[in-house]
Amino acid sequence: MFSSYKDNCVCGFLLESTAQQGGLHEVLKMAKGDNGVRCFQGLLVLGNVIIGLCGIALTAECIFFVSDQQTLYPLLEATNNDDIYGAAWIGIFVGFALFNLAVLGIVGVIKSNRAMLLAYIILMLITYAFETASCITAATHRDFFTRNLFLKQMLEKYQNPEPLNNDDKWMSEGVTRTWDRLMLQHECCGVNGPSDWQNYMSKFRNINSDSEFPWPRQCCVMNVQGIPVNLDGCKLGVSGYYNDKGCYELIAGPMDRHAWGVAWFGFAILCWTFWVLLCTMFYWSRIEY
Amino acid sequence: MWSCWLVPAFCWLVHLCVAQSLRPQIASPQLATNNPTFTTIALEKPFCVFDGSLSPGKSYEVYLYAMMDSMSMISSAVTDNSSKPLDSTFQEVNGGQLGPYKAAVLNVPDCASPPKLADIRNVKKASDVLKQYLFRVGDDVSCLYDPNFLGVCNPPLASDTTYRFKYILVDETLGIMKDETLWSDPIKTNSVKKSSTIDTWPGRRSGGMIVITSILSVLIFLLLAGLFASVFFAVMESEDSATTETRHISQTVQQVAPRPQASSDRADQ
Repeated sequence: MFSSYKDNCVCGFLLESTAQQGGLHEVLKMAKGDNGVRCFQGLLVLGNVIIGLCGIALTAECIFFVSDQQTLYPLLEATNNDDIYGAAWIGIFVGFALFNLAVLGIVGVIKSNRAMLLAYIILMLITYAFETASCITAATHRDFFTRNLFLKQMLEKYQNPEPLNNDDKWMSEGVTRTWDRLMLQHECCGVNGPSDWQNYMSKFRNINSDSEFPWPRQCCVMNVQGIPVNLDGCKLGVSGYYNDKGCYELIAGPMDRHAWGVAWFGFAILCWTFWVLLCTMFYWSRIEY
Repeated sequence: MWSCWLVPAFCWLVHLCVAQSLRPQIASPQLATNNPTFTTIALEKPFCVFDGSLSPGKSYEVYLYAMMDSMSMISSAVTDNSSKPLDSTFQEVNGGQLGPYKAAVLNVPDCASPPKLADIRNVKKASDVLKQYLFRVGDDVSCLYDPNFLGVCNPPLASDTTYRFKYILVDETLGIMKDETLWSDPIKTNSVKKSSTIDTWPGRRSGGMIVITSILSVLIFLLLAGLFASVFFAVMESEDSATTETRHISQTVQQVAPRPQASSDRADQ
C-alpha cells in the first residue's frame, strides 16, 4: 500500500513541478486544490521550524540553569529537594528531542510520508509528556522557595559540628561554604537579616558563644584585609559596622527566575506544539494511501 | 541621633539631682541595635551621675554590680556594714542568682567631655566612642575558664533571664562606697526560639502553578483524544479504500507506466 502511495505522492516542494497536477488532487482527500494542501504543509513546516528553534533555546536556557552560575546548588541539595534541577535536566533533553523531531516532522510533512509522520506524532507525544512533567515540576517547586525554608536550613546546617552521617556532613559543608561566600561577597547576613541568628537557636549558636559571636563574622563589615572594621561595633549591631540586609533575595532570586523561565518558556513551547501536533494528526489522518 | 543631644542635656540635669534617684540605663537602641542578646546586655556608662559626690584631689572608681531579678535572692546589698563594696564573684553568687556580683571596675566617666555619638560613623573614632559610652555585661567568654585570670570576671549571662544592675562610686584610697545609683529596671536577655518550630510549608499554591498544571493536563488530554480520533479515521478510511481498491490499482498502473525508473527504485527496498 505504501509503495503505491509513495509513487503517487509528490515530494512536497521539491518535485512538485514535475508532478502531474491530476495526481495531487487524488493524493490528499482533504485538499480542494493544490494551493490549499501546500499552504497547510507550509504551515506545518513553519510550526516545526519554530518548535526546533524553541527546542534549541530551551536547551540553552536549561544548560545555563544547571551550570549554576551563582553556585547555589548546595543550598538546594541540602533541602533534599532539587526538583528544579531535575526539571532543568529534562528541559535539556526535551530541547534536543524537539529539535530532532522538528527536523523529522518537516521531512515527514514535505514527503507526506505516513510512517514518518506517525513516528513523529508518537515521539512528539512522549516528548510532550516529558516537557509537561518538567514544566509542572518547575512551577510547583518554585512555590517552595520560602524564606523559612532557607532560614531553617541555615540554622540547622550552618557549621553543624555533629552531622548525622556522611551525607549530612557533605550537605552541612556545602551549606556552610555557600553561606560564608554569599555573606562575604554580597555583604548580607542571614536570610532575613542578622536578627535570624539572634532570634533562633542554631547549630552555629551551639558551638559559638553568643557574647563572642552574636552572628557569624561574615556579617561584619570587613576591610580590604578581611578583618572586621570594628568588631565591637559589629557585635553590638552599630549601624555601618554590620551588614543589616538579608540574603534571601540573592538566593531565591536566581532560583525563582530560573524556575520561572523553565516553567513558562516550557509552557509556551507546549502550547505551540499542541497546535502543530494536532494539525499534524489531522494531516496524517487525511493523507490518502 | 537624638542621643548626641541627650548626653549634654542629661549632664545638665544631673547637677540638679542626686545619683540615688538615677538608674543604670540600657545603651541607646539607636546605637546598639543588637542589645540585649542571649548572653549580653550593653549598659550606658554613668555619665555625670556621680558628679555631686566627687571631691577634688581624690581618685575614684565605679563598680558595676549585676544580679538576677529572682525570688531566691538572699540580699541585694552591695556593701558590707562598714560600707565597703563586696567582692563577690560570678561563681560565688551562682551567676547573680543568690546576690549581686561585681561585673566590672570602670573609671569614672568624664562628664565634661562625653563621647559624641555622631562620631560613631568615623571608623577611626568608633572604637573609642563605644569604649567610652557603653559597657557590655557578659562580654568575656574566657575568664571563667582561665586559671590565671585575676581581674574582675564578666562572663556571659544566662539567656531568657531578667537582670538588674547598679553602679556605685568607690573611693579608691579608702575603699569605701561614696555614692550609688538605684538598681536598674529589670532587663531581660533574649529567649531562645528553637529552629525546629519554623514552618517551611509554602501554604497556598501560586496562581501560575495552578494555571500551568491545569492547562497542560487539558492539552495532554486533548492531544491523546486527537491521536485516537485520527487513528480511528485512518482505520475507517483504509476500510473504505479497501472496497474501492480496484480503482486505486488501475490508477497506479496508469501512473507507474510512464515512470519505470521510480518503480524499480521502490522494488529495491
